[in-house]
Amino acid sequence: MTTLLTPDPRPHKAEPWRLISFRTKVLIAATALLPALIALSYLVVSGSDFMATLFTVFVPLQLAAGGLLGYLTTGRKGIADGLLYVVTFFFSLFVLVLLMSVIWSLVESGVKAISPHFFYQNDRYVGVTTSLEYGGVGHAILGSFLVVGLSTIVTVPLGLATAVYLTETRGKSRGLIRSLLQAMSGLPSVVSGLFIYAMLIASGWTTYSGIAGSLSLIPLMLPTVARVSEEALRLVPVELRNGALALGAPAWRAFMQVTLPAARTGILTAVLLGIARVIGETAPLILTTLVGATTNLNLFEGPITTLPTYIYQYISLGFDTSIQRAWGAALVIMILVAVLFTAARIIAKPVGQTKTRRVRTK
Amino acid sequence: MSLETASPRKLLAKPFSAADKVFFGIANVAAYSAVVIVLLVLVFLSVRAWPAFESQGVIDFIFASDWNTSVQPIVMHVGPMLWGSLLIAGIGVLFAVPMAISIAYFIEFMAPKPIAKATTILVDFLAAIPSIVIGLWGVFVLSPVAAGWAEMLHDSLGFIPIFANDEPNFLRSPFIAGIVVSVMIVPIISSITREIFSQIDPELIKGALALGATRESAFRKVILPTASGGIVGGVLLGLGRALGETVAIFFVLNIIYDSFNWFEILEPRGGSIASLILAKFGEASNFEVDGLMAAGVVLFVVTLIISSIASYIVAKAQPWRKD
Repeated sequence: MTTLLTPDPRPHKAEPWRLISFRTKVLIAATALLPALIALSYLVVSGSDFMATLFTVFVPLQLAAGGLLGYLTTGRKGIADGLLYVVTFFFSLFVLVLLMSVIWSLVESGVKAISPHFFYQNDRYVGVTTSLEYGGVGHAILGSFLVVGLSTIVTVPLGLATAVYLTETRGKSRGLIRSLLQAMSGLPSVVSGLFIYAMLIASGWTTYSGIAGSLSLIPLMLPTVARVSEEALRLVPVELRNGALALGAPAWRAFMQVTLPAARTGILTAVLLGIARVIGETAPLILTTLVGATTNLNLFEGPITTLPTYIYQYISLGFDTSIQRAWGAALVIMILVAVLFTAARIIAKPVGQTKTRRVRTK
Repeated sequence: MSLETASPRKLLAKPFSAADKVFFGIANVAAYSAVVIVLLVLVFLSVRAWPAFESQGVIDFIFASDWNTSVQPIVMHVGPMLWGSLLIAGIGVLFAVPMAISIAYFIEFMAPKPIAKATTILVDFLAAIPSIVIGLWGVFVLSPVAAGWAEMLHDSLGFIPIFANDEPNFLRSPFIAGIVVSVMIVPIISSITREIFSQIDPELIKGALALGATRESAFRKVILPTASGGIVGGVLLGLGRALGETVAIFFVLNIIYDSFNWFEILEPRGGSIASLILAKFGEASNFEVDGLMAAGVVLFVVTLIISSIASYIVAKAQPWRKD
């Protein structure tokens, strides 16, 4: 018992008020730099493969250094700490490197294919080996806008009304519908395309057309729109609703004039995220639309090209120029996605943080 | 003017006006349309798929191998495809989980605020990249590099049967397809993990640190157990996404219909139900389309099971969230 009552004396060199001592700082810098330097010099001297050096020299060295740093700073139990840091950094960096690799290769290969006419010309007179001076994705951009636009027009009111059911009513099947929406968000996109094919095209109601493509996107878009707008509506304080109702507004006016305006940024985000979700969908459109070389603004008949199916087709063709065209189209679609994504980010900035200004009275 | 003479106030707003009934009616109809869509998908696909199931036998259709429509009678079995889908999704999850947890931990507990914010945006952006773009990148950029990794694995660990490869090349293998899929599901898993991490009571972690835990033991003993439900749910959601992935896998995988590739992940042969549908759709006869519908039904049922387990677990993992 006595051992418990007499605590260890404080080590005379301990400085608990100092977060990181000078020695530790030096050690951290050494741990961060030395393994990389050693691996780099090994790479230069031996001239071996970069990946091999990375995995056989750098990673073990860095792990050992991390463990050593932990041991030197906090003793035996610090080893695992150091390893945790190294592993976390390594994996996080790996994800970021993958992302950068995707973006870099898109920009590098895409820019070669892109020129002003790439955005507005179609492929009417373009064969698989036609040089990149001719033709473009104009028809595919228009097709994507039309197909995705039609699905948006149908899906947004539907999703918003579903969100209203989930938040504003006391309906009995809210739980069921919420879990069904969850299940729908896991619906494989190819199955959605297959479903529209089975229902509309195989049974002869319509042929391959833009409208079939739009319909096949709806089940994919609906869960996103409904879920995000539900979150947005849920963020509106209940006092606002009750206030409107207490002032005598019927439920629909309370919703239209109070709840909806209060949640409008969130709902706009929902729409943008829904569009971003389906704009790159390829498989359902391959099953429900045909790729054509000319501009087609008629959603009800004829081949209509969208950006993803354009990319799909030009990769499948497999010629050098066609693959370059695919890269160019991929860059175009990424620019579209990035614009949507940035817009969603800007809109979604929490406005609730700004407090209501106090009115000065004197 | 006394109080008695004031006429009683008249209620102008009816509790339920006709307009309100329309308003709630619309909401009801819209909400039930979700039910209708899911049921429609299931019923239509099943009706069309039934002839295929009947002619092949349900058990054979799902578990036996070979898809050959040039022989009589037609053989349509998706066993290797189903197994291939699961194998690729499994490899993808295996790669994605450490990356996703690391990046979630990095964002929530390690990085200074501006870096954490920037990383969050980048990871969210990764989630927004269309799968066809990832597929394009996977074919022309990742495949050669990943084939190099595969060769290194084979050279150093080739005596383990998993890493065996008798073929001369390492391209178009389930291993590479798994990496491509993992790039797509990292953001899904990491965003859910991050969500759960951020909801852990910071006092719990500080308490552990104050009691002498190191960061590592706090992570292992406090953070992981608290967040495990959410992580498992996120993994299952990612698994659902990986199973449904079509185009990217179609481009990077060599699909073999007539034999199972059980575990030789570096060999250039594999399968995937979604890619099977895409590959066979173009020149399919009417009866083969029925078979593809049946394959779609199998895929949908598998993803439905996985995603409902996932949503159940995610909901259970957040008992503080009230609906």
